[in-house]
Amino acid sequence: MTPSTHPSSIARSGPTAVAFDGVSRRFGDTVALDEIDLGIAIGETVALLGPNGAGKTTAIGIMLGLLEPSTGLARTLGLAPHDAVRSGRVGAMLQSAGLPPGARVGELVDLARGLYPAPAGRDALLERAGLADLVERRAETLSGGEAQRVRFAFAIAGDPDLVFLDEPTVAMDVESRRAFWDDMRRFAAEGRTVLFATHYLDEADQVADRIVVLDRGRIVGDGSPAALKATVTERTVRFALPDGGGSDDPVLRSLPGVIGLDRHGQTASLLSRDADETVRGLVAAGIAFRHLEVAGADLDAAFLALTSGPREPVGSSTPAAA
Amino acid sequence: MLATRSATRALPSVGPFLAYLRLEVRRSLRNRRYLVFTIVFPVMLYVLYTAILPATASGPVAGLPWDVYFLVSMAAYGAIGAAMSQAAPIATERRAGWARQLRVTPLPGIAYVAAKAASAMLLTVPALALVGLAGQVVNHVDIGVGTWVAVIVALAIGSLPFAALGLLLGYLLDAESAQGGMVLSFFSLAILGGLFAPLEAFPAGLATIGRVLPSYHFANLGRSVVAGQLPDPTDIAVIAAWAVGLGVAAAWRYAADERSGRS
Repeated sequence: MTPSTHPSSIARSGPTAVAFDGVSRRFGDTVALDEIDLGIAIGETVALLGPNGAGKTTAIGIMLGLLEPSTGLARTLGLAPHDAVRSGRVGAMLQSAGLPPGARVGELVDLARGLYPAPAGRDALLERAGLADLVERRAETLSGGEAQRVRFAFAIAGDPDLVFLDEPTVAMDVESRRAFWDDMRRFAAEGRTVLFATHYLDEADQVADRIVVLDRGRIVGDGSPAALKATVTERTVRFALPDGGGSDDPVLRSLPGVIGLDRHGQTASLLSRDADETVRGLVAAGIAFRHLEVAGADLDAAFLALTSGPREPVGSSTPAAA
Repeated sequence: MLATRSATRALPSVGPFLAYLRLEVRRSLRNRRYLVFTIVFPVMLYVLYTAILPATASGPVAGLPWDVYFLVSMAAYGAIGAAMSQAAPIATERRAGWARQLRVTPLPGIAYVAAKAASAMLLTVPALALVGLAGQVVNHVDIGVGTWVAVIVALAIGSLPFAALGLLLGYLLDAESAQGGMVLSFFSLAILGGLFAPLEAFPAGLATIGRVLPSYHFANLGRSVVAGQLPDPTDIAVIAAWAVGLGVAAAWRYAADERSGRS
């Protein structure tokens, strides 16, 4: 659960990449972040994982100085976030950012390099962002995935020590997504700190060495992917229902121990807090199941257990805005 | 930390400012609207009213031959259009989220606005130069190159209030209405400021309105330079007053837009 650090890179950039000390952020009556304490060390690759509205974008906005915390203190590279961005050591790829119509990709890359004190080389940057063939294209003619690559170029143009990526692969197809993360891993391996928000579990599992799980503005899990999986005592009970028959979902959901149901055609996967009780319940209900499997939880289950498992009634509090 | 702060704020802003100015100029020079409003229109109108329709030609106006007088009018007209040409791009960029992208780079907000204004003013130069060239080619207007360069410099600097107005409209209006708002205010300024027909030909009431507008004094400034006179302090004062007023309004709208993007 302890964040791993890379001592070689600490000298390069100072003490911590990101420090949140009791950071809260409200939008009107909505609490988007609730008393967050978080420290991210130089060199870590951290996934901020959570469902929509968990507060991921708000947290990144505060780390970049786009938003002020309502209470608490945020530091980025030891500086006020706005000053860290101004220093040129931070790069970011935001969900809501766009490109100016009429500008060519090559011009935008030139601009991105011109904005930073120690930019990456032009050819290297075009290569790394996968833009070499798009240099003459105008911003408004790019597909969602291509525009995403230009925004990625902005994020890494300054050869930054610290990179924030808010849902970076949202508009990408499977192949581009894989290529993007391969590249990101190499980028992180150069001793840089990478923090990305995602709601794709496999991305967090495969890319990050630490996952911070956010739910409704609070940190509900924090550790390596393996450590998070180990915290889960839930099991998956999977079986096939008889052809042309079987039970209704409500019946399955009401079995003892069941806290989640995933149904694909005749195959049902139950997430259970007590697999023994659930299987006894299945038998008692007279369900003619076949191919029964009981498996340990994967990260999927861990995530489900952390964010949407049974919880205390939350009273009047509403889900936080993203 | 204070040292870091001042070090990161002072000098490096010049580099980002120039990088951004370069993008803006390259982008605008490709914009067809810019070319039509600021170069094709004024040159066409100039040729039409000085060479093709001799009936409209009059004797000297305000001490200048008609083809010189109207040359300055059309140069002023093109320059105002060029200076205001940032209105629609700003409005569409705001919708696209471009400002948000820039906000996570080291480019300070003030450098972004300054680059917008500076590019608008720089873009008056091709318009002014080409209208001047049309005067030489079509009517063999005898103004020395040096004099016309002085006109270009004076009007490029004097275009500041129109650049500020373009920014203001871009931050005030949405992407759908910014172009319309720009064209409407551009033509109002041109017509009421006496760029199409001299203010001397206006009814008294309308002429009074015209004399308050920056466009009237902007063209006057150009005519003083062409006539080899020192600029009239009134012209400079009125242009400067409009520049300050519109500049403050544009800065206020920009700040409001930035705040709304932050929440």
